[in-house]
Amino acid sequence: MSGKPKLSMYWATACGGCEISLVNIHEKVLDVDANFEFMFCPCLLDTKKKDIEAMPDKGIAITLFNGAIRTEENEEMARLLRKKSRVLIAYGSCSYEGCIPGLSNLHSREDHFKTIYLDNPTVDNPSGVVPTPETAVPEGTLRIPSFYERVKTLSDVVDADYFIPGCPPEPHQVWNVIEAVVQGRQLPPAGSVIGAGASAVCEECERKKEDKKIKKFYRTYEMIPDREKCLLEQGIVCMGIATRSGCGALCPKVNMPCTGCYGPPEGVLDQGAKMIAALGSIIDIGDVKGLSEEEIAKRADAVISSIPDPAGTFYKYSLPGSILKGRIS
Amino acid sequence: MKTGVYFCNCGTNISDKIDSEKIREEILKLPGEIRFRTIDFMCSEDGKEALEKDLKENGMERAVITACSPRDHENTFMRVLSKAGLNPYLMQMVSVREQVAWVTEEREKATEKALRYTNAALKRLALQDPLEHKEIDICPDVLVIGAGPAGLKAALSIAESGRKVVIVEKTPVIGGMPVRYEELFPNMECGPCMLEPVLGDVLHGEHSGNIELLTISEVMDVVGSYGNFIVKIRRNPRYVDADKCIGCAECMTPCPVSAKNEFNYGLDERKAIYLPFAGALPNAPSIDNAICLRAKGRDCRLCKDACPVEDAIIYDDAESIIERNVGAILVAVGAGVYDCKKIPNLGYGSMPDVYTSSEFERILASNGPTEGEVKTAQGKRPKSVAIIHCAGSLDENHKEYCSGICCQYAFKFNHLVGKKLPGTKIYHFYKELSFPGKEEFTLYHHAKEDRNTAFVRYRDMKDLKVEKKGAKKAVTYKDASGKKGSAPADMLILCPAVVPAEGSGSLGNILEATHDKFGFFEELHGRMDSAQSKIKGIYLAGACQSPMDIQKAMSQGMAAAGYILSGLVAGRKLEIKPITAVVDADRCSGCRVCMSVCPYKAISYDTEKEVSSVNEVLCQGCGTCVAACPAGAVKGNHFTTDEIFAEIEGVLA
Repeated sequence: MSGKPKLSMYWATACGGCEISLVNIHEKVLDVDANFEFMFCPCLLDTKKKDIEAMPDKGIAITLFNGAIRTEENEEMARLLRKKSRVLIAYGSCSYEGCIPGLSNLHSREDHFKTIYLDNPTVDNPSGVVPTPETAVPEGTLRIPSFYERVKTLSDVVDADYFIPGCPPEPHQVWNVIEAVVQGRQLPPAGSVIGAGASAVCEECERKKEDKKIKKFYRTYEMIPDREKCLLEQGIVCMGIATRSGCGALCPKVNMPCTGCYGPPEGVLDQGAKMIAALGSIIDIGDVKGLSEEEIAKRADAVISSIPDPAGTFYKYSLPGSILKGRIS
Repeated sequence: MKTGVYFCNCGTNISDKIDSEKIREEILKLPGEIRFRTIDFMCSEDGKEALEKDLKENGMERAVITACSPRDHENTFMRVLSKAGLNPYLMQMVSVREQVAWVTEEREKATEKALRYTNAALKRLALQDPLEHKEIDICPDVLVIGAGPAGLKAALSIAESGRKVVIVEKTPVIGGMPVRYEELFPNMECGPCMLEPVLGDVLHGEHSGNIELLTISEVMDVVGSYGNFIVKIRRNPRYVDADKCIGCAECMTPCPVSAKNEFNYGLDERKAIYLPFAGALPNAPSIDNAICLRAKGRDCRLCKDACPVEDAIIYDDAESIIERNVGAILVAVGAGVYDCKKIPNLGYGSMPDVYTSSEFERILASNGPTEGEVKTAQGKRPKSVAIIHCAGSLDENHKEYCSGICCQYAFKFNHLVGKKLPGTKIYHFYKELSFPGKEEFTLYHHAKEDRNTAFVRYRDMKDLKVEKKGAKKAVTYKDASGKKGSAPADMLILCPAVVPAEGSGSLGNILEATHDKFGFFEELHGRMDSAQSKIKGIYLAGACQSPMDIQKAMSQGMAAAGYILSGLVAGRKLEIKPITAVVDADRCSGCRVCMSVCPYKAISYDTEKEVSSVNEVLCQGCGTCVAACPAGAVKGNHFTTDEIFAEIEGVLA
């Protein structure tokens, strides 16, 4: 074993894209190897949980923890890695704010099980078995980790030191963080978002912005947007105005709207709510002077109804990390 | 941080419903250095003194005032804090009288509620910043747009106080509409004569040196804000030096070209060099370049040859763009009248002898197209006249509002027609009659008692139809009771709805002042502040704000002058309250969402730095942009997101 500081990466409820994003720093991976002992990463290495348990507390210099907390096992690993790591970083949107798995907070655990194990047309489950933490079998009792009612973020269950946003984080931003650590630069105060900007994506977007008035929203397949003009001004729900900068406005660059993966800008508590407040301010329902409240509401509804799936659009990445955290039943 | 919680009993108003001892007990359990004290009537002189003493003696750094609504006494207690040497913004009031004691029946629940509110106030207070009032230099000069009664009255008063006024008037004459009317309701005074003292003083009175009058001019652009506007004005050439000209009118006779006189609604003609009507002020003609032969390249100089004064006529006069710095702007551009061609059943524009009231005023005037003679197109005296009230007013298909002035001039016409043409039968067709006030009923009473005058009340404009019967005209009608009839009408006078003046839309855009749903300039508050627009520093007077008569226009002009004189005082700085929105340029992404939401047009966008900024003079601290900013880059001073969330958490704790 070398004397290099230890680096670990763990996935909880995640897709694996975060691991890819780390590898995406390309040849700089050699610099990572030169500076760290990369010792735990279930996606790439064979280290086991028991090996981590055997380590002294704070024995790992940095853990990049990706994935949301969906199950008891996710939380258990989060607690273990918190104990063993000097710096625990929520890496990527899932562990930072819940991301796509977090959208399941719009439904209950029971609904999920019903859809997945009972109502799914490709499932044959005549005895209606759904997962339970304990199952009695002739040989004894089988235990599996319990499935939580709600998806949580990493910082909902343990104290995370830093947050790197993105779905997945952009390689140059990942490298910025690693480089800062390698060079021993002063990291920002604990609890900060790192590897990102403080403003919104529009700051990095080169499209021409004008005063905004939106008469109707379009889905991306309904039009080919002008490449120079702000997408939002063309009626495409681009989340860039309410999304933290740092990615380089990659999606708008290729004529696709920002979907919000870098989470809320610095100081914004609820990305979805902010986006709704902003859109509410710029939706153009024409001159309402003299109209009755009902007529005004009708016109507003007509514009709003052109946004399909508002929760999935405005809270695509941030539902568990938002103020409401999910559907309030 | 030493924080004092001061609980006002307000006699028994608060103490009857809220147990201050319970609050004391719970509040003192909270972490931090908190002091609790009750005061009987905190807003009394004794109470204020007690508060000040307590703050000082105990070295308090912040204060929660658990008392009445901040609407009542926030300023009172802010002043006490200042006297005690504290920043007044390090105070938070809790309205336990209005929001708790007066509305919550049970003492226990009221106490619980008051406790939660006090806790919320403490949480927010801990985050509050000391804020300072700022001061900026101002320009005390004033721009008045429109030289009608309202604008001139205001301009004169402001000039009398020693302040500079720039008047911009679109036409070559001043005095607005009433100088075209020979007799005015309700007392049959002569319009130009009644206004002469004001017009004369503006032109050459004791304080006219403070007034710069720019006729045939228009405001092109306005930048800046209250206290410091820069106004760009286009001054069109008059081609006559108004100072040198003696107003003899010798120049007009030889002029070989003419056009319809718009001041007489095209009922007669005037020359290329012309005075709109005899007695028009300033008493100097102007040249209409649209028809003048010189403008067409011809070397005509008949007017100059006829002029007895050297260099009074300036052929090479040219358009100029001038800039003026002013601190306030008064909009007094007046109104127009509804286009009666939009009510085709009344025959306006398609039948002879159907006039609007404005046209008829000129027909009645001795300096008008017929020199005051009322006759039909065939040169005969009309035996019957129909006056159609509410032409376009009180009508959901045209204008919903009552234009307010028409009844009175209609009965004035009644009187004048009866005087000029005794025995003429006059029919008044009306929907409603309206003439409130202590003098305004007299003309109506005369009409009512006149045996040649008849009244027909109609319900809907479509129940009237002007028809030709041979050489004669008649109004066929269905009256309000459903009875049908017909009245002969050799001549018709329509009383059109008063509507916003032509061009008030584009002027509004230049000033960024808003319009109401009818297109009139929108006031800050219809009852309380009708002389102020929603933009600070831009004031309204006269019919540009709503249909109104001369009395109200003059009063509104004076009201605006009052606002201007009390708000902008030469040598005094403008105080800016600190509760405004502030953009953090580092966090602003330049998305421009905030721009369209500001009701006070206080946000501007720097195209170079690509960030928005808030003008703190214009900002009223409403917080709309704070809520709208999706990047969280706009902070509302004294209402920051952190403060608001701390307050919510304090209530829910």
